[in-house]
Amino acid sequence: MSDAKAVADRLVKAKRLNALLTPPKDLRKSLLAQAAAARPTGVLYGMPIAVKDNICTLEFTTSCGSRILEGYQSPFEATAISKLKAAGALIAGKTNCDEFAMGSSTEHSAYGRVVHPLDKSRVPGGSSGGSAALVAAGAVPAALGSDTGGSVRQPASFCGVVGIKPTYGRVSRYGLVAFGSSLDQIGVFGRSVHDAARVLSVISGRDSRDSTCEDRDPLRLPTVPESLQGFVIGLPREYFPPELDPAVRRACDRAIRMMKELGAAVREVSLPHTAYAVPTYYVIAPAEASSNLARYDGVRYGPRFDGSADIRALYRATRGQGFGAEVRRRILIGTYVLSAGYYDAYYRKAQQMRALIAQDFRNAFDRGVDLLFTPTVPSPAFKAGEKLNDPISMYMSDIFTVTANLAGLPAISLPIGRVKGLPIGGQLIGQAFLEDEMIEAAYALERVVPATDEA
Amino acid sequence: MSVSREDVLRIAQLAELDVAEEGLPELAEQMSRILDYVAQLSGVPASDNLKPYVPGPDAIRFRSDEVAPTPLAFGPAVFAPAFKEGFFVVPKLGQFE
Repeated sequence: MSDAKAVADRLVKAKRLNALLTPPKDLRKSLLAQAAAARPTGVLYGMPIAVKDNICTLEFTTSCGSRILEGYQSPFEATAISKLKAAGALIAGKTNCDEFAMGSSTEHSAYGRVVHPLDKSRVPGGSSGGSAALVAAGAVPAALGSDTGGSVRQPASFCGVVGIKPTYGRVSRYGLVAFGSSLDQIGVFGRSVHDAARVLSVISGRDSRDSTCEDRDPLRLPTVPESLQGFVIGLPREYFPPELDPAVRRACDRAIRMMKELGAAVREVSLPHTAYAVPTYYVIAPAEASSNLARYDGVRYGPRFDGSADIRALYRATRGQGFGAEVRRRILIGTYVLSAGYYDAYYRKAQQMRALIAQDFRNAFDRGVDLLFTPTVPSPAFKAGEKLNDPISMYMSDIFTVTANLAGLPAISLPIGRVKGLPIGGQLIGQAFLEDEMIEAAYALERVVPATDEA
Repeated sequence: MSVSREDVLRIAQLAELDVAEEGLPELAEQMSRILDYVAQLSGVPASDNLKPYVPGPDAIRFRSDEVAPTPLAFGPAVFAPAFKEGFFVVPKLGQFE
């Protein structure tokens, strides 16, 4: 049981990161109350867990990093939060993120950018950058994020922590503010594979309030294996292109060598439609976002930006002033690709590509591969402002992570080395609902890989 | 450029979103670049019979039709921007074209 006051102090000390949106006074008061009420028999008793600000909580407001939900107090909490509390965990404040989880750098928050914990000139990744930064800074042992195209794994890679995106349907999304409903999953950050995995096991499992959550028991944690004997690890050649950052390649090569030494059979595979994953994602995700974000209109909840003569002017003023530039851009792109005359050329085509991308994975797994190993991101953390005015360059940061969302597969990023002091992540992609195998292999790799050594 | 200033205004109207006049040229340019980029998908051969892929269960799971208590800790009078006598208060309805 950690001391609630000490938890609050650690979080407040990390203030320079701008990773926490909860005011220190509210945080302290709530943590003391939660600690007094926490169930001492719970498996996460006393564990402080920070929560991305797009997951609804009763303890704290939920703004999604947006002006359009500034000061919004949800009247209900997410199922994942209820499960954490039932296990004795403490909800340790809400973390800064790209507005409505749209971004790869946590620079698109209405509440300012999050600073990389190891280099203040760089970004922590995104969109769950606040959660990743707080775990990396040692302020909390674990945090929740959401992963629609890589928003847990990419910041985990940049900050040097573990990030897990579970299978689509493994964790209830009741209370997760919707962005791309066929892609979104709540994910977990941890200082270690074990910390992340045990939080995941608590929040996983059936929920009658989310029809996309599968009717399955919570994930059972595997034991730490002695070796990787019997594992067949596939290396998709499209994820190791000639232009890959040489340090990222060296770190991956070292991790691959170590998996072989642990007894894994390693073989090259091909996922031929990988190159189309980012354009496919940037049709499907904005299309779904434009529909999901139609609910923010200044009528039922959240602030109202008015001075308006009629209701349509109210909608337009609230949405125009309430949403930031990236969200507005994605709503417009989504509306465009769904509009009459463009639907077939963009949206229908992207749906077909998604089927081909999912088929690529099925083919690899059908040929006897248990897991795929890839770099999580093509480069270490980039400089703040570097990609801010170049949306496509920012989107390319997700090139190795969006595929698991498109295919609905589980994936984990874990630190595998550093380049000039900046962390590099390696990604294991598993088969649907076989998170236990993926976590087992991650345990083994984590034990041997020199995660903080230069690659 | 594939998206004109007029296209942006038309789409913004469909999306019920005010866009600032001075931001239109940049928005049109960025939307053009994004749409030109994703247009590469049209060159990829795919059979028209290819079924769209959506992860998750193949069929909707039925559950018993029971009324559950509302999980709301408080009602709209607390969270609505304007609420009176059980109704959300809004300005008068405008002319819908």
